Amino acid sequence: MIETPAASARPPLVRPRRAVLGGVCAGLSEHLGWPVARVRLIMVIATILGGAGLLFYGWLWALVPLDEADEPARRRAPVAAVLLALGAVAAVAAVVQANITGTAPTAITLALVLTGGAVAWSLAFDDSDPLRSARYSLVVRVVGAAMLLATGLLLLASGNWRPEAMTAVFAIGMIVLGMGVAVAPFVVRLWNELMRERSGRIREEQRAEIAAHLHDSVLQTLALIQNRAGTSSDVARIARAQERELREWLFAGEGAPGADLARELREVAATIEVEYPARIDVVTVGESVPAPPPLVAAAREAMLNAARHGGGEVSVYVEAAASVIDVFIRDRGPGIDLDDLPDDRFGVRESIIGRMHRAGGSANVHRGAGGVGTEVHLHLDL
Amino acid sequence: MTSVVIVDDHSIFRSGLKASLDDTVEVLAEAADVDAAVTAVTNERPEVVLLDVHLPGGAGGGGAEVIRRCNGLLDATRFLALSVSDSAEDVVGVIRAGARGYITKGSSAEDVNNAIRSVASGDAVFSPRLAGFVLDAFGAAAGEQAVAEDELDRLSAREREVMRLIARGYAYKEVAAELYISIKTVETHVSAVLRKLQLSSRHELTAWALERKLL
Repeated sequence: MIETPAASARPPLVRPRRAVLGGVCAGLSEHLGWPVARVRLIMVIATILGGAGLLFYGWLWALVPLDEADEPARRRAPVAAVLLALGAVAAVAAVVQANITGTAPTAITLALVLTGGAVAWSLAFDDSDPLRSARYSLVVRVVGAAMLLATGLLLLASGNWRPEAMTAVFAIGMIVLGMGVAVAPFVVRLWNELMRERSGRIREEQRAEIAAHLHDSVLQTLALIQNRAGTSSDVARIARAQERELREWLFAGEGAPGADLARELREVAATIEVEYPARIDVVTVGESVPAPPPLVAAAREAMLNAARHGGGEVSVYVEAAASVIDVFIRDRGPGIDLDDLPDDRFGVRESIIGRMHRAGGSANVHRGAGGVGTEVHLHLDL
Repeated sequence: MTSVVIVDDHSIFRSGLKASLDDTVEVLAEAADVDAAVTAVTNERPEVVLLDVHLPGGAGGGGAEVIRRCNGLLDATRFLALSVSDSAEDVVGVIRAGARGYITKGSSAEDVNNAIRSVASGDAVFSPRLAGFVLDAFGAAAGEQAVAEDELDRLSAREREVMRLIARGYAYKEVAAELYISIKTVETHVSAVLRKLQLSSRHELTAWALERKLL
């Protein structure tokens, strides 16, 4: 198959989202390369000569897609207001004619269709159109409803409250439609809300069910794997990482958002755990305080050292008050002696002690209780 | 030899846990729901019950309900709560019902065995997380301190020290060395804290748990 250059050069037939009415003429002129005025003129002439233009317009409107821009369609022509005005003229004509001749089927039908069309247009298109205010839509609906009710009553009153049978039927139909128009938006809104709430509830229930199931089965198994595999094994590490991920998903949205110190340190611990054979338990006590970056960085370095050189179980204890934060990081590894430390061990000296001093706090690196492992104590006055 | 009954509704976890217990622990029975657990504990009279916090059956009270229904046996039988979650409501619930300790299910086999031995000999088992929770719940982190010896709603200065060290990951003997006291004294402090946790009516104990949902 050979694609002709002419076909590919012609832009696709789509309706633009910024349009006068339906965007049909604008789209057509874009597609054909004709000026938009010529297209409109042809449409109008074809409409006057037997209404083919109107049919063609409706057909294209229904079948040609909107362009792919991500914005609500804007229609410059105030169609609902125009229809409403025409409907009012037809209604007046209908009432006058009914009072003179007794019946006025054409005028009554026109009034019904035009006013109904105005309200339908307002409900279908104007609600999502940024060019139309909510007040405009409200006015269209209220006026439409009032017009239908008033016309219906006036028609009933024609012939000295003895209208023709046909007129009476139309009149009652108008009154019913008028009431419907007055009530419809509320019913539609109520229905939409009900549906939204219901689907939300179903989703929530499903999620709770899945969460309960996962909690009962998968989390138990992951805990068992950790229990059986031993702290430093790869299997336990993977199981622990998986457990944390699952837990985060299960209880998503329950924790307080924001850069809380406890939260940040937990995240740091989680990323370190993935890379080193260590299990880092973070215990936090006290108030929720914002995380000072130097403290988090120093704690991260200390945890990294503990995981890298100590391994196994690492305990992190955070005690935060409004004016002071203490963080203890403790491992049970071989332990380090600050005095024996070669100068090139930049980690401890620079990234922990130096960093804390520059931030106006202090860091203390010493052997853990009973000479086992290392404990780092970070202290920061706020 | 320590005799235990394992109560957990997941057979996989029960068998896994059983396999991880060492030679000094003898499993007398297993149970999968509240009613079976009460029957097993009453019949077997084990020294320690390994009790899952979440259990089906009974009146829906889970592990705490088992402890309450075995109330008359609490002198001879000690309950060690196991939980997959760290939810404070769960933990505080079983502890206040009378459990002597709490550990997470992900704890290593060694930890579980040690915890069983401690509980069997009458000690309380405090994980770092539980210690952290106690410090928060009794307002110790904010500097509240008991004035009188028998006060239930606040921790004494010494108890607070002990809890802080446990929260930092210290074992009892390390706490003892750090504070220049005997292990026995550490155990006394921990038991005293456990008693306060069980008897205190501090509203934080319930409110805290509900508010934060996590330990």
